[in-house]
Amino acid sequence: MGFGYFITIGVIVGIYIILTLSLNIISGYAGQASLGHAAFFGIGAYASALLTLKLGLDFWTALPLAMLAAGIIGAGVGIISLRIKGDFLAVTTIGINFVIVSVFEYSDFFGGAYGISGIQYPELFGFKISKAYYLILVFVCVFLTALFCRLISKSWLGLALETIRENEDAAEASGINCKKFKILAFAIGCALAGLAGVLYAHFMRFITPIDFAFPISISIVCMMVVGGIGTIRGGILGALFMAALPEILRPLANYRLLFYGGLIVLIARFQPQGLFGDNPILFRKVFGGSLSSARGEKSGVPGGRK
Amino acid sequence: MSAILRTERLSKFFGGLRALQDVDLEIRANEILGMIGPNGAGKTTFFNTVCGVYPPDRGKVFLEENEITGMPTHRIARMGIGRTFQIVKPFLNITVERNILAALGKDRMKGVSPALLGIGLEKSREEVRRLLRLVGIEESLARPARTLTLGHQKRMEIARALALKPKLLMLDEPFAGLSQEEIRPLVQVIKKLRAEGITILLIEHNVPFVMEVCDRLVVLNFGEKLGEGTPQEVRSDKRVIEAYLGS
Amino acid sequence: MLQQLINGIITGSLYALIAVGLTMVYGILRILHIAHAAVYVSGAYLGYVAYLYTQSLILALISGAAGCILLGWMIQRFLYTPLLKEERIVPLIASVGLYIFFEDLFRLLGGPHIRAFTVKLWFDKIAWGDMVITSHQVLILIMTAACLAAIYLIITYTRLGLAWQATAQDMDTAKAMGVNIRQVVNLNFLIASAIAAVAGVLSAINYNSILPTMGSVPAYKMFAIVVLGGMGSIPGTIAAGLIIGMAETIMSAYFGFIMPRDAIAFSAMILILIFRPEGLFARAR
Repeated sequence: MGFGYFITIGVIVGIYIILTLSLNIISGYAGQASLGHAAFFGIGAYASALLTLKLGLDFWTALPLAMLAAGIIGAGVGIISLRIKGDFLAVTTIGINFVIVSVFEYSDFFGGAYGISGIQYPELFGFKISKAYYLILVFVCVFLTALFCRLISKSWLGLALETIRENEDAAEASGINCKKFKILAFAIGCALAGLAGVLYAHFMRFITPIDFAFPISISIVCMMVVGGIGTIRGGILGALFMAALPEILRPLANYRLLFYGGLIVLIARFQPQGLFGDNPILFRKVFGGSLSSARGEKSGVPGGRK
Repeated sequence: MSAILRTERLSKFFGGLRALQDVDLEIRANEILGMIGPNGAGKTTFFNTVCGVYPPDRGKVFLEENEITGMPTHRIARMGIGRTFQIVKPFLNITVERNILAALGKDRMKGVSPALLGIGLEKSREEVRRLLRLVGIEESLARPARTLTLGHQKRMEIARALALKPKLLMLDEPFAGLSQEEIRPLVQVIKKLRAEGITILLIEHNVPFVMEVCDRLVVLNFGEKLGEGTPQEVRSDKRVIEAYLGS
Repeated sequence: MLQQLINGIITGSLYALIAVGLTMVYGILRILHIAHAAVYVSGAYLGYVAYLYTQSLILALISGAAGCILLGWMIQRFLYTPLLKEERIVPLIASVGLYIFFEDLFRLLGGPHIRAFTVKLWFDKIAWGDMVITSHQVLILIMTAACLAAIYLIITYTRLGLAWQATAQDMDTAKAMGVNIRQVVNLNFLIASAIAAVAGVLSAINYNSILPTMGSVPAYKMFAIVVLGGMGSIPGTIAAGLIIGMAETIMSAYFGFIMPRDAIAFSAMILILIFRPEGLFARAR
């Protein structure tokens, strides 16, 4: 367990933070069901891998293009969300995840079940960014993503997304073009997931379709829920907690999944607002008193809804 | 004679049901027009058709000189029609201030890049306060909308509609579900709005209020316009009396 | 070709049996009950153990059903009902966590490998020309038809069924009209879990295998069927199950190169939803 181990954990945690924050834009701010987010994680990864390996582009050119690809397909899902709603949309996003992963798995263009290997580390002025420097790169991306999410939550766009989440009819009646903003939420959220994918591909340097399958989407949703839906702080801490969990549970060896599943059930059952969102058990014990839910950078806690 | 809103032969069918049939209506500037009629007469359907919730099957709608027939709701809202809902629709989990801002920012929400601008709270807060003061709930500025009473939520909804700086304010049963104590202050609010020169179309079952406040009334029954005129004229119209007694 | 049709109907029947349980839970609780797959697998394992000791298929089915009824009741009572007032995503996450838990539990208790679940019936197979129906397939046909017909009759013609329909349409109104919601919820879960168990046993017998991960595909694929059937509509789900079962079998037999079998259900679902966003059949009537 050397330095390299911690770097790996750090990179993976960082990637998951970006994934959770990006999902938060779609599900937390705009309130749209999206249970197949890992598909866009995969689109970013595969796009960057193919652009660098098959077209010879360098990392820094491939990055925005891969994000664009994920964003455009995400916008497509956004368009679908205009027609298919609620639980139907939830299951549709699961289906999209399955279909996209099937495409990766079944076509030789994407390397089939064996995936794509030999992806290179990024280079900057001839200097190869690997190991600790890669961690810095990831950290920068996490920071920028969190900053961007904060910008959104404080902006008119964030307000528009919130109104869509709360009550679409009222939002329309208030002059907000719900269709446009829904598509935008999906586009932005999925593009950021694509960013996470690029970072993943060039760190692992080897990607396979199952890296982006439905269980990963569920993990991301879990991180968002455990951390507290709708808050940036919750997204970061939730991802940290859940990504660190497999390592914390390592001593339990054979019983890891058992505890993982059990923990999710317990958290969902007894602390559904999340551990780090508003009014959580942890915060109450540590800081005393409940946090007001209508403050600065947060977008409010969605209450019980049918 | 300036008509703020004008409908020509407005019709809407749901399958075999004729919810609206050939309704011609004119709302003049600065007046309060009351729309009354038995339940199911088509009043809310009229609202929804005018506001773009669904397009009419026949007929046209004009906002001042512009035809708005079939336009999407958000565009009509921007062009100047603010409405409230029969069952109030607040943005529950955000503050009252943000509820109002949602409508206040209509110019900012038009494009993508302006939408990314931060909400200049200092600049907008004065305007939000003014609107909340108008409806009498200024002290609730920072509270989440879900903590408000129904009466206050209805007032917030009116303030939200007013934030659009509308040419026409459409209120759908503003008193529905309110107790007597809650109704009285709301009546004052509506009278105050009228004094400010705002054109109002409202649906209401509360007859004494309607008689007292409205300049004119229009009566709907089974989707058709049964009659219109001053409250006195309408009250003595035989067909109207029949419609109400018969239902 | 005809052989494929028969295989497809068999697969479709099993799908329908599992999916109907899911749709029943959704119809009443509006929860996406991913843990239903855990109940399905539990039924298979319980039945397997019972058969090991009694060599009786009937007892295997009964013990599977009984155990799952208990399991289902516990899930409903301790996990779902308390979470009804929360965000919709929360019971979904709880359900997923529960499935992960159970899948690992089966692995720990029963071992990670496939075990054979061999049940010999009184005849081996029926051959008709070059078509073959195995005894297991006949059993599946008979039992699923019986179960589904029973459920359909109960829902449509009994007072309980009426209460079910009312609750599915609008729980608050039904409660106001005097329907005993708790009873409806409990019975609903009871029936759904019981038929999941039956499906589990039948499935294990048919493929002569039982393993901890046998629920992972049904866990998600069944939702494509439930959605296609109109989310809460029992006849719709039955039809959707059969359609998907046949579509899968025929497509993978003749066009296997286009896409993997498991992606067919979701692809069909997405395509159809785009044209009919409410599914093929409207919700519970």
